[in-house]
Amino acid sequence: MPNGFELLQSLINGLGVGLVYGLIAIGFCVIYNASGIVNFAQGVFVMLGGMFAHTLLTRLGLPMLAAAVISIVLVAMVGVLVQVLVINPMWQRKAPLFAIILATLAVQLLIEQIVILTLGDQPRTYPEFTLGGPLKLGPIAIGYQLFWILGCGAVMVVALQLFFNRTRVGRALRACSQNREAAALLGIPVASMLMLSFALSAALGAAAGILITPTQYTAYSVDGPFGINGFIAAIIGGFGSAPAALVGGTLLGVVQAGAIVFFGAGYKNVVALTILLIVLLFFPNGLFGGWGKRV
Amino acid sequence: MTADSPSPALIEVNGLAASYGHVAALKPIDLRVEEGEFVTVLGPNGAGKTTLLRAMSRLIASDGKIKFKGRDITGVPTHRLAKLGIIMVQEGRGLFSEMTVQENLQLGAYGLGGSRDQVEGRFEQVFRLFPRLRERAGQVAASMSGGEQQMLAVGRALMAGPKLLMLDEPSLGLAPMVAAGILDTLGELNRSGLGILLVEQKAPQALKLARRVYILSSGYMRAELPAQDIKSHHDLARYYFH
Ligand SMILES: Nc1ncnc2c1ncn2[C@@H]1O[C@H](COP(=O)(O)OP(=O)(O)OP(=O)(O)O)[C@@H](O)[C@H]1O
Ligand SMILES: [Mg+2]
Repeated sequence: MPNGFELLQSLINGLGVGLVYGLIAIGFCVIYNASGIVNFAQGVFVMLGGMFAHTLLTRLGLPMLAAAVISIVLVAMVGVLVQVLVINPMWQRKAPLFAIILATLAVQLLIEQIVILTLGDQPRTYPEFTLGGPLKLGPIAIGYQLFWILGCGAVMVVALQLFFNRTRVGRALRACSQNREAAALLGIPVASMLMLSFALSAALGAAAGILITPTQYTAYSVDGPFGINGFIAAIIGGFGSAPAALVGGTLLGVVQAGAIVFFGAGYKNVVALTILLIVLLFFPNGLFGGWGKRV
Repeated sequence: MTADSPSPALIEVNGLAASYGHVAALKPIDLRVEEGEFVTVLGPNGAGKTTLLRAMSRLIASDGKIKFKGRDITGVPTHRLAKLGIIMVQEGRGLFSEMTVQENLQLGAYGLGGSRDQVEGRFEQVFRLFPRLRERAGQVAASMSGGEQQMLAVGRALMAGPKLLMLDEPSLGLAPMVAAGILDTLGELNRSGLGILLVEQKAPQALKLARRVYILSSGYMRAELPAQDIKSHHDLARYYFH
């Protein structure tokens, strides 16, 4: 049996990962609510965020902030590219939704291959944003990166809420999620809104990847696990509001971390998928019943 | 422009036809609404009324030509029509049901861009017409009564400042009194110069308001008459069951 401190320590570690899952989950929601598309390439944005940031840091020697901002912009552009080159043509031809969703999976595999060919297949990482950690509280150690994840996560969620509720374009994006035809009839350019949702979602994923990489590593293959856990977090949150997705992710991360302590690391995915099944069986609309305003 | 047509129609549709797969729901039809005119299209269930309005607002593909104030707008996509001044209130109202009355109205003014004064002015105008909406400004659209929702749908359309308002069965599912109230308001709007194309199944009042009436049945335009020529429902029956 692990002692209390070990458990607490791993729950704290789980909090960081969970918040990152939450950010990825918000990315899923943004696209899903604007279009009904579940973008399985969501994990790719996370992976690219970490990979781009690493490349800019090590090859170009940029400072962290610059590397992060440029990576986020680049990944947002990748998101737009995916929408313009793959999603939109299918959308315009009225392809069935499942075909579009399948296409996002193909995009993931394609981008993975491109990354292997251009940046290589070796795992890599970079230092935490603030060096000198961790913060020691008795036997508990808290890496400084966790504070960065908490802070940046909070800022992003607040910014998103303001964007969706207070700005004209944010409101229009929500309108598209509720009634696309009515939105178009009022003059809202629905196709551009879908493009925007991909940019936004990709930027969120990239930020998540940049934040989490120092605590573990990144490689062409991390997109799958991040994508799946983000997706589960989105389901727990009910594909609803940004805060609900964030809570879903945090819950998932913390429970996973606890499970590792009790059952061993091999059970991490079993636990995640068990949570998914339980939520799907008993709370098909997510833990919050889809109450929250949709993002 | 020739001498005998001093000003072009507000909207003019020629040979408009639409189909779902192999089912031709709308046979080529002609239709026009003059500036400031109130025109009603009557037709029974499945006549093609919704198809007509959806084709006119480019929500579905169609053949034929559409001119707005003499300008060919056949290829203009849906989201560009609002800016021209063409707004449709959909069958079933098409509200953003999880948003508040206020937000729905605000979205109606999307085309105005950021201009705050103009948006405020429109709000006032809509609230004067439908005081109920002012009282309910913070309420979520889905939680309102059918009549209030229809007021919101019309109010939202007015926020865009349309020149042509197209409505698909606004009286559907409403108590006769409530429906009459909505139609009265449409009459009022028309008297202040708004062109209206109203689609209804059977509405004695829609006939009273209209200057001209088209009769649509099984996708065919059966007749175009001055409204006063239709005295009762019996007059319609012979067009419906051709
Ligand atoms: N999406 C669709 N797919 C196939 N057929 C359709 C579709 N929508 C409408 N139709 C058919 O086209 C014809 C016209 O339908 P439409 O909805 O335009 O009628 P309507 O006059 O609006 O009827 P209502 O008064 O019931 O609203 C009907 O026969 C209908 O069954
Ligand atoms: Mg109809």
